[in-house]
Amino acid sequence: MIRATARPLAGLALAALALAGCKGNEKTQLAQWGVKETVQSGERGTGMEQVYDMDDVNVRYAATNIPTSLPPAGTSPPGPLPWKNVQVLNDISVAEFNRTMVAFSTWVAGTGNCAYCHNVANFSADTLNDGTPIYTKLVARRMIQMTRHINGQYSAHVKNTGVTCYTCHRGKPLPNGLWFYGDQDDYLRHYLDRDGARVISQTEGPTNANRSSVKQTEYTYALMISMSKSLNVNCTYCHNSRAFSRWEQSPPARVTAYHGIYMVRDLNQNYLSPLRPVYPAVRLGPMGDAPKAQCLTCHNNAYKPLYGAQMTKDYPAVWGRSEWNGVPFPAFGAAIAATAPEAAPAADSAAAAAPAAAPTPAVDAPPPAPAAPQGNAQPRTNR
Amino acid sequence: MALLSFERKYRVRGGTLVGGDLFDFWFGPFYVGFFGVVGAFFTVLGTLLVIYGCVIDPHRSIWQFNIAPPDLKYGLMFAPLAEGGLWQIITICAVGSFVSWALREVEISRKLGMGLHVPFAFGTAIFAYVTLVVIRPLLLGAWGHGFPYGIFSHLDWVSNVGYQYLHFHYNPAHMIAIVFFFTTTLALAMHGSLILSVTNPKKGEPVKTSEHENVFFRDFVGYSIGAIGIHRLGLFLALNAGIWAAICILVSGPFWARSWVEWWNWWLNLPFWR
Repeated sequence: MIRATARPLAGLALAALALAGCKGNEKTQLAQWGVKETVQSGERGTGMEQVYDMDDVNVRYAATNIPTSLPPAGTSPPGPLPWKNVQVLNDISVAEFNRTMVAFSTWVAGTGNCAYCHNVANFSADTLNDGTPIYTKLVARRMIQMTRHINGQYSAHVKNTGVTCYTCHRGKPLPNGLWFYGDQDDYLRHYLDRDGARVISQTEGPTNANRSSVKQTEYTYALMISMSKSLNVNCTYCHNSRAFSRWEQSPPARVTAYHGIYMVRDLNQNYLSPLRPVYPAVRLGPMGDAPKAQCLTCHNNAYKPLYGAQMTKDYPAVWGRSEWNGVPFPAFGAAIAATAPEAAPAADSAAAAAPAAAPTPAVDAPPPAPAAPQGNAQPRTNR
Repeated sequence: MALLSFERKYRVRGGTLVGGDLFDFWFGPFYVGFFGVVGAFFTVLGTLLVIYGCVIDPHRSIWQFNIAPPDLKYGLMFAPLAEGGLWQIITICAVGSFVSWALREVEISRKLGMGLHVPFAFGTAIFAYVTLVVIRPLLLGAWGHGFPYGIFSHLDWVSNVGYQYLHFHYNPAHMIAIVFFFTTTLALAMHGSLILSVTNPKKGEPVKTSEHENVFFRDFVGYSIGAIGIHRLGLFLALNAGIWAAICILVSGPFWARSWVEWWNWWLNLPFWR
């Protein structure tokens, strides 16, 4: 990437058009008066550039709270790990485990709020004392696996930066950009939950080979705009507009983004949607589906989440194996069968078992092919 | 020699801006003047450099020849010849020859005691070009923001610059420029057809005058702008097309770095319905 700064001339620009009174908030401003920096993403003279208003960037960066890493874990007591019912984080030391739990509470639940996920009378239990399942703990366990899956399997997208809980959660239990099935999200449903984003014809003249409809084309456009907004980048960040589909003319960022589409689809199909039976109704969408992720969920309007802050290297717990080794929902079987939604009973029972059984084939495997979603037992309506 | 026997009497001395009598002569039908010499110098040098650029360009088709500006990393410095330096020198030659041409128009106008409307109008076109390759790159801090000299390549540049702001048709200045371009052609077509219609009457009938022109438009739309007025209007429309075209690219980047669609949020945020 090649950058150019307009610093020496910003003052001139200001003086020449001193209408600084117009400067307002980001929603109503008519011009951006800040110093401009440009990133060149293509060969010279192709106009493949991204101009940034540094006032704009600085405001966004200042609003991005990047937590400082906790001090390294001390030495752990000798002997075997003392845990009971630790199914995922059983490959790290006692001290690292405790450090990780503290970090998790900061990242997701609010500092010191152990009770968000735990029965504080019995930390190893997956239920409250009255036998009520603690869905937050079950979801958190699956999310730790998902995080390890991302860091282990999707280095093509997350590189060495990786992700932590905080990448999406930002200190809140519910990340930004969660979405559910509905008319407004049809494009996400297609591309980030099911099919490949492919509508461009491969022939010059019109043929019957490409059956893509105008609506599907619109979905692709909507997905692209959502990616642009999620990353706060323009079209030329990933494409040379003289031939949008040509890989050999595209900047490398497009390859990263392409792996990102596969990644989000994998996460939605194999980690997020199958959690539906675990959630209380209040967490589900109007069609009874689990909350799902999109580009915005991690990126939060930055080209790199948290502007590329290196958090993951300080937390070995978010790396490592991601298999589901254990019995996930011992207290759940009956309750899930009873609350299974209307359609496709066979699929629902599979969905109920999904967190235990379905992900197994997908785990540590290459990204699933778009045409053949694996382990996805979601009932589908309104195709 | 003049092409027509009566031309010579218009060849009056003086009116030069630079050089006094030194270049105050004609070459065939063309007035030379100081700016004719300077303009010829820049034109010849620039054209030779364009040809040189095409020779060292890997493409072998007139459509694909491309002389691109330097990478952004060179900022406002000079770049090596084969890495955008050629573009920089050609740009200097282009601006030099365009401005010389305009100043030559000024000298001829002064000789003839005319107004300076013609060089002013041409100056507007030069302003649009200079905005693209000088003013906007200066404001953004790098010559690399200029457009490349090549038939396909400058079209690709226009496309990508549009997509830098996601949807350039939402650029308000671009909208105004397009309206002026369209209205210019509309006005020229109405005026041209009207003049031809009065000068081509039915066989045997006399050629009509401006009274007929006025009556036609009064009957037609209730108003005739008049013989001078249509030319004022035409110049106003044409100059505004160029001026707003320059403004629409000048604000894209230096004064707006986001989606032009997003710019219209002020409309959504008006107090009447927000």
